[in-house]
Amino acid sequence: MGIRVNPDVYSLVLSGLQANTQREDQALQQISSGQKLNSLSDNPSAAATLVTLRMDSSSDTQYLQNITSLTAGLQVADSALSSVVEALTTAQSLGVEGATGTVNAQNQKAIAQQVQGIQQEILGLANTSYNGEYLFSGTATTTRPYVADPSSPSGVTYNGNDNTNSVEISEGQAMPINLPGSQLFSNATTNVFKSLQDLYTALNTNGDIGSATTEVGNALNYVSAQQTFYGNSLDRLNNTQTFLNQEQLQLSETESNTLDVDMATAVTNLSQTVVTQQALLAAGGKISQLNLFDYLPTS
Amino acid sequence: MSVALQSLLAQQGAMGVVANNIANANTPGYSREIPILEESPPTLMGNTMVGTGVTMKSVESVRDNILNLRIQQETSQQSSLNSYVASMNQMEALFNETQGTGLQTVLSNFFNSFQSLATDPTSSSLRQATITAGQDLAGAFKQTSQNLATIQQGLDQSVVQAVQQVNQLTAQVADLNQQIQTVSNAGQNPGSLEDQRDQVLQNLSGLIDTAVIYSNDGTVSVTTTHGTLLVVGNQSDALTTQLDSATGMHEVLAQGTDITSAIAGGQLQGLINARDDGIPSAQSSLDNLAAGLIKAVNQQQNDGWDMNGEKGADFFTPFTPSASGSNAGAAATMTVALTAPDQIAASSDGTQGDNGNAEAMADLQNKPIVSGQTAGSYYSNLVDQVGNRVSNATAEQEAVGLVLQQLSNQQSAISGVSLDEEAANLVLYQRAYEAAARVISVIDELTSTTISMFTPS
Repeated sequence: MGIRVNPDVYSLVLSGLQANTQREDQALQQISSGQKLNSLSDNPSAAATLVTLRMDSSSDTQYLQNITSLTAGLQVADSALSSVVEALTTAQSLGVEGATGTVNAQNQKAIAQQVQGIQQEILGLANTSYNGEYLFSGTATTTRPYVADPSSPSGVTYNGNDNTNSVEISEGQAMPINLPGSQLFSNATTNVFKSLQDLYTALNTNGDIGSATTEVGNALNYVSAQQTFYGNSLDRLNNTQTFLNQEQLQLSETESNTLDVDMATAVTNLSQTVVTQQALLAAGGKISQLNLFDYLPTS
Repeated sequence: MSVALQSLLAQQGAMGVVANNIANANTPGYSREIPILEESPPTLMGNTMVGTGVTMKSVESVRDNILNLRIQQETSQQSSLNSYVASMNQMEALFNETQGTGLQTVLSNFFNSFQSLATDPTSSSLRQATITAGQDLAGAFKQTSQNLATIQQGLDQSVVQAVQQVNQLTAQVADLNQQIQTVSNAGQNPGSLEDQRDQVLQNLSGLIDTAVIYSNDGTVSVTTTHGTLLVVGNQSDALTTQLDSATGMHEVLAQGTDITSAIAGGQLQGLINARDDGIPSAQSSLDNLAAGLIKAVNQQQNDGWDMNGEKGADFFTPFTPSASGSNAGAAATMTVALTAPDQIAASSDGTQGDNGNAEAMADLQNKPIVSGQTAGSYYSNLVDQVGNRVSNATAEQEAVGLVLQQLSNQQSAISGVSLDEEAANLVLYQRAYEAAARVISVIDELTSTTISMFTPS
């Protein structure tokens, strides 16, 4: 007598069917969700990578938002400084005009009035605010930086501080987002407000208008040089934005590679399970429908 | 004549066995039986030994006890893994980052809110957003921690129920032992009772790891693989459960001794593994992460200045460990302590518009604040560990399933009823019966011929 085989062949077909149904479920789930990972245990290390990728991507989104809101503030500051430069240019030409020998004392006083107007204008520009915050008062953004002060040689007092705020615009890259008025409008040798005050006094008192005009010219050059900070900052924001957009694209591509199912593979898997199931069912239908009893005479 | 009669009876008995096999062809746990036919002792007639026919000596069940033991062991393993995987799947769902249902989003949002605040540190709407992000973060930690505790409580109840089931089954085994012994002593075949007992033993091994020893008197002794006595003869020793006030979970006791960690198979092991290892390990990682965040954020907040020019107060309610070195409860009790947006210490020097401390807060995302890792990578490891536990157990579950399938197949090959075989046997016994009947009728004819010789015609 040969080896006795398991007479219950259906149990084999059944377990085959169960295993196949499991694979079919998995393939279906992948297709319906579009994801090859549907739980952590599908691929734990990929799921862990997903966490890191999404944290990075989320940070980048935040950096991009920061860049958008910073850009607006920097643009306002930049255009305010452009106006300051423009006003100083006007003041400089007024000084040149006033220094000309053909202008009489009366006209000099009229020019002085114009210079005073420019002083007012620049004071206003130095107090520019954006979103309710003063742009040129250092980090004391809630304090109005410049107030008129007749007792001061420059005609104004600076109430801000000398500090700057920095904001991270990409991982590990912090960028200063402001220059304090104390640095923008003056240094050890030059002072925008004092140069205008000196020009005003010289014109009024027929003093040394020439050297006062030179002073204004120096102040003009100084502010122009300072203004480049804003231009450079805006450039930097722009470049970083491009970089972040690219990085986000890469991150989402990696995320998609980690998470998304390859539809062709998934559909092939599914059709394979369907074929297997049909084969198993056909086999189950064919086997052992008969046994010896069917062939024994009944009577 | 009596030889033929005995044969008739024996073949009839054999056909009865065949009929019983056919009837039980689909009965779970049934082992096929074979009739044992034996020559009757011969008698001496003159100088010649003459055969006296056949008797049916006994009926034997065809079974392989060693194979049954292997099946019980693997069943035990499989049930253990089944219940472990099922429990861990529930836990896995709490951290399912593949569906976006985890802590990554709230964690990112929290740090991002400080990043955002840094661009405009005096904005009350951004400050409010930061408080909200903190509340969301604390809420998510709390919720996850509570969900873990709920799953753990559910498992604990299942442990108690499983122990009760173990006790019911061991009592049944003891009872069957007694019946088998009685039947055996009466010289009968206890086959069907043994089948029942095998079935109960298999169910028992699905609940707890068992070692079964077959005795000569037909009874079995059952212990756990670590030697805890469950059944001897007609006595069963019930396991008990007792609440451990330190952990809030039930211990399994055998005659007063705690055997919880010694249970090495069956549903109980799976439940206990998930309850005492799988879930607590995720819970403690979650607590570490929460405690690390609370501490780092509070410290940074204390370093800065708020909108009112005061030193920053604690952002989160500080966590005080109940035991040193343990962060247990940190996640479950996480709450935001600040009550007003102005209290966020965005400034590093007291100037309202300064953003230095908000930047520093945002930068905590990249600082090693939990066991030398950043919050993000610590959480990412947590996700990895949870996933690995489940995927390893699932792989093992599949492997054991295959082994078990092979063993069952083998068992079925030995003990399963084949209708072909039974049909052949039936024909065999039927023909023998017919032949024996024919012998009787021949003897009858001979006898009547002989009788008629003496009858006057």
